Amino acid sequence: MSFNEIMNSVTLYALVGAGILFILIFCGVTFIKAYRHGIEIGLTKDQLRTAIVSSAVYTIVPSISIVIGLFSLSAVIGVPWSWFRLSVVGAVTYELMAADMAATGAGYESIAALNAAGDPSVIGTIMFVMSIGIMAGIILILFFGKRIQAGVVSARNKHGVVGALLTGVLSLAIIEAFLPLQMMKGPVYLAVVCTSCVITLIQMFIVKKFKIHWYRNFIMAVTLLLGMMSSLIWVQILG
Amino acid sequence: MDEKYYKSIHRIGRIGLIIGIAFMLGIPAVTCTVFNVWPKSVAEVMTVGAGLLAVFIPTATAEVFAYTPVLGSSAYITFLTGNVSNLKLPVVINAQTLTDTTQGTDEGDTIAAIGVAVSSIVTTLIIVAGVILMVPLKPVLTSPAVQTATTYLLPSLFGGIFLSYMSEDCGEYIAKNKPLTIVIPTLLVFAVNAFYPLSGKEGFAVIACMALNVVCAYALYKAGIIKMIPKASLKKDAAKAAK
Repeated sequence: MSFNEIMNSVTLYALVGAGILFILIFCGVTFIKAYRHGIEIGLTKDQLRTAIVSSAVYTIVPSISIVIGLFSLSAVIGVPWSWFRLSVVGAVTYELMAADMAATGAGYESIAALNAAGDPSVIGTIMFVMSIGIMAGIILILFFGKRIQAGVVSARNKHGVVGALLTGVLSLAIIEAFLPLQMMKGPVYLAVVCTSCVITLIQMFIVKKFKIHWYRNFIMAVTLLLGMMSSLIWVQILG
Repeated sequence: MDEKYYKSIHRIGRIGLIIGIAFMLGIPAVTCTVFNVWPKSVAEVMTVGAGLLAVFIPTATAEVFAYTPVLGSSAYITFLTGNVSNLKLPVVINAQTLTDTTQGTDEGDTIAAIGVAVSSIVTTLIIVAGVILMVPLKPVLTSPAVQTATTYLLPSLFGGIFLSYMSEDCGEYIAKNKPLTIVIPTLLVFAVNAFYPLSGKEGFAVIACMALNVVCAYALYKAGIIKMIPKASLKKDAAKAAK
């Protein structure tokens, strides 16, 4: 069998299907556990619904960009393995890089050249390299996840008001590290950042003015969509 | 935090990760056995993989220590399903902001777990739809306009979520002027990135910013600029005013 035939085989589809089913079960079990606990500790149904709806709605647009990655990746390593890789840990840039390194290690110019040659002998190497190369984060979280969270909770509990403040400012680091990098990538990036910020402000004003609190769940998703669409105009003006 | 739930959610997370690892290695192993395409040796896999490991071990280490304090118990699903900075972190921040909860508290951690679980289910189902509808969707989603728009997903995301970080909510307290904490770390990231590009090293930048945040917030609190007001006292004041 050729490279493409194995990488698009029914066997691989079945194995990947089982893997995807497991991901859904794992998420479902965690969700039920957390939801029940939320009720127990006094979170209101409204708060829980807000968390569910806002997360689901916000996720749609970035997920479509993952599907676009699936199309590019499946052209070189077949559909099922691309499907699994992009559902578990991977991002398309990493997956292409890993597959390419495995192909060049086997003496081919690129993963595309390997695909064209149809050589199945390096399939095992490619699949294992792609899995092992990105496993570090998962293994670390397995050993340190609980300890890190325990550290944050204990710092918060032990140090009273100061502990609440100092653990409360940790998440600000995400925006401090990511926003400047995006703003400095070029004028179109900067314009998109500013546009998204203004779009959010307008929506927050509308929510307040017309008291449509249900709409708060959609602010992030609408901002993301309109911000990305604005890039088409900014590319024409500044690109 | 409820000790029983805390232990149980971490146990579920760890078991999930171990099964996830089994699938990540098991699928290649079964494929190799069925089609007789095993690598020639472990050395071959390690030789090819060494370059990747050299790049990804430091990055993954930084990301685990940078993002777990924000993700809490949702870190297990997050690191298994990936797309951490462009999807799971914003989901957690957004859900916590909308529900007035904070990480480090039982409520905030529960909301994070719900948000990440829902988000992962939605992503998985959308990818399934992408696989099923690959033929009709491909021309639309690979059109130049959609390709351009998706290039600008991250600036759009961080521009939009920026205002969520301006919240003064701090668990059982309102931290007046808390957003001032971001000024010095943000300016430093701008300055460092101008001379030493930080792209691809975001995990390290987040860890450095977390340390700076603690120093800045403590200094601002000691200087009396950040004021911690218990929410309970605000509620009492509001009740008095209503009377």
